[in-house]
Amino acid sequence: MNPTLADFGHDNGWIVALKVVGVFVFLVVMTLFTIWYERKVVARMQVRPGPNRHGPFGLLQSLADGLKLAFKEDIMPLKADRVVFFLAPVISTVCAFTAFAIIPFGPFVSIFGQKTPLQLTDIPVAVLLVLACSGLGIYGIVLSGWASGSTYPLLGGLRSSAQMISYEVAMGLSIVAVFMMAGTMSTSEIVNAQAKGGQGELFGFEFTYPGWYVLLLLPSFVIYAISAVGETNRAPFDLPEAESELVGGFHTEYSSLKFALFFLAEYINMVTVSALATTLFLGGWRAPWPITQLGPWVNQGWWPLLWFTIKLLILLFVFVWLRGTLPRLRYDQFMRFGWKVLIPASLIWILALAGFKTMNNENLPGWQRGLWIGGFAVILLAILLWPRKRPAPKLPLEEEVAQRPEGSFPLPPIDLQVPVSPRAKRITADREPVQ
Amino acid sequence: MIDVSWGEQVVFYILAPIAVIGALGMVMARNAVHSALWLVLTMLSLGVFYIVQAGPFIGMVQIIVYTGAIMMLFLFVLMLVGRDASDSVIETLRGQKVAAIALGVGLGVLLGTGLYRGTVDLTPVGLAEANKNGNVQGLASLIFTKYVWAFEVTSALLISAAVGAMILAHVERRKDERIGQAAMMKERFLPGNYPGPKPGPGVYATSNSVATPAKLPDGNPAQRSISPILPLRELEPAEKADKHTLTGGHQS
Amino acid sequence: MSLSAYVPIVWLLALAAAFGLFSVGIAPFVGPRRFNRAKLEAYECGIEPTPQPIGGGRFPVKFYLTAMLFIIFDIEIIFLYPWAVSFDMLGVFGFFEMVIFIITVAIAYAYVWRRGGLEWD
Repeated sequence: MNPTLADFGHDNGWIVALKVVGVFVFLVVMTLFTIWYERKVVARMQVRPGPNRHGPFGLLQSLADGLKLAFKEDIMPLKADRVVFFLAPVISTVCAFTAFAIIPFGPFVSIFGQKTPLQLTDIPVAVLLVLACSGLGIYGIVLSGWASGSTYPLLGGLRSSAQMISYEVAMGLSIVAVFMMAGTMSTSEIVNAQAKGGQGELFGFEFTYPGWYVLLLLPSFVIYAISAVGETNRAPFDLPEAESELVGGFHTEYSSLKFALFFLAEYINMVTVSALATTLFLGGWRAPWPITQLGPWVNQGWWPLLWFTIKLLILLFVFVWLRGTLPRLRYDQFMRFGWKVLIPASLIWILALAGFKTMNNENLPGWQRGLWIGGFAVILLAILLWPRKRPAPKLPLEEEVAQRPEGSFPLPPIDLQVPVSPRAKRITADREPVQ
Repeated sequence: MIDVSWGEQVVFYILAPIAVIGALGMVMARNAVHSALWLVLTMLSLGVFYIVQAGPFIGMVQIIVYTGAIMMLFLFVLMLVGRDASDSVIETLRGQKVAAIALGVGLGVLLGTGLYRGTVDLTPVGLAEANKNGNVQGLASLIFTKYVWAFEVTSALLISAAVGAMILAHVERRKDERIGQAAMMKERFLPGNYPGPKPGPGVYATSNSVATPAKLPDGNPAQRSISPILPLRELEPAEKADKHTLTGGHQS
Repeated sequence: MSLSAYVPIVWLLALAAAFGLFSVGIAPFVGPRRFNRAKLEAYECGIEPTPQPIGGGRFPVKFYLTAMLFIIFDIEIIFLYPWAVSFDMLGVFGFFEMVIFIITVAIAYAYVWRRGGLEWD
């Protein structure tokens, strides 16, 4: 049997302690691993080896870095607000850790003979706990920026306050669809709700589609994924710590273990949003389709922990991939994207899904369905294609250049032919295939 | 006597003083941002109280919404009074503090005794029934059926909040006053404006100090290369003298 | 549903807080201390720190508007959650209720958008 909400809260004291320590260790190890993983993956993307000195494959690199940070001087600027400066990294860390309490790792397992779900705990409003923690986590960043008494951190802190609250709205809206399908906010039951696939028919073929919400609610997943990147301040949305603009952003003035805590919190947040994405959209700890054919044992015992971790690592890989690929957005583009694209898109998607579900529940006849869907589509198209003032016609480049006033900054001719460098010629000559 | 579970009592006796301390701190903190932080503490404690009293949804909502709301307060403080703002200690109305404390304590006593007398021999009923299908579902079935009017009116309240925020905080600019990125770049390359970066201090000069202006190709110092906040200082003759750095320290 | 399901959250929170406070508390004692006046100044890439930004540390009120909009949407989301959870129970009536609510909030949103409240420049 799979764990449901009623199965939580019956653990012994020492099992709870074991689980708490387990989650804590999992997160710390994941952080150390993810830092290494990120550096390694980015390095491979940039055709260089990455960390490879400490331990096998450089795996101990992040541990070494963490230990080194502890032995660095702890500096508190004179103008800093002492108490708040001290508390901000702690707030970040606590919120990051607490959010992970409700992530399901697997079904029932037996720990020293005690049967218990492989999940710290579950509550009726589990997903809201994650939202509350990420909302409180913003304080860590904003307060660190404010308390530093320095210009760059203050700018970074303010930016992140606006950024994170904007993307939290998008994130909050994207998971409404999941609640609608699952009919619950508890994570273990959301995982259960994704267990059953449905029967579909396409071109005469009968097939079973998986019940993962990533397939059923693809728009929600896309919006969640984008806003999760914005919420964790990761590239390309890493504006609060944009190093080319704000030095280090909110943590410019932090050093030593205080800085390490911010680092830890950032990576744990990454792990948390990935774990939540796994839980809400990717079927949680359940094995994906080809593996399920091996037998029922794949979804029992400790195996699901493996599937969960693999899904987590794939999502984390996407985070790193984004960082390795995309340049940072400009702040106004970023905010425009959040407020003018993500939020209206998720609202319209929620309404569409709700309408569709209502029609299904009421068993409307086909022609009425067509009428409603048609009406909705017409309204949507009318909003999207509402006639706007046409912008002035764009001149061709030559004319625009010719219109520039006298004495403008000199431009090279548009049809400039760059002569091939003689050095390049020599290299190509050298590389003639040897017969 | 109402039967209160042991866990609930423990939580109450730990968090109630914290909530009160937060409220007092909010009133007494000199720094406006510290006030906001004390308020966060109080709101968090209240959220936990709701959860303990079998209202997990409202508890979480309290935390989520009030963190946002206090964040707004925090930003508002930062925008209105600046970072280093703190209260002035001068009392503008004489005797105001004493009167406020007396009235506050009086109100507290009045409310406290009233509530106590009203609830002392009250037995709570219906909690299990209300949460029968789950707390959130129970809430939903009330909000969206019995209190549907209040719910819809909330949206009107939200509209007025949006309008209020716009009136308070939005500086309207006409379309043609707004300069886009493309226009800004065009302006940058117009004649009379030097589009390149300014030379950094110390470029081609005899020293790389931030206070030494860069030298232009004709040998003049480029005043734009040093920050205007640096204090102007005349060089002493010894500093001005040729250090013979170009000849490797040898007097030529 | 008893409160015991919440207890592990409190323990995890306590463990994280202990870890955080321990790290922050121990940092000044583990690391070296080499006093230098310049280290304690605000970091500004080597130049002398500027006084706090424009006008004694005041900021564009723009951020406040965003925070206010956030609250509006936050409250909308808070209403959406119970509605979504018991969606199947509420039926057609619940659906149209929420359509009206979302449209009303969308009016506020459209107003802010039209007046340029969502522009950052």
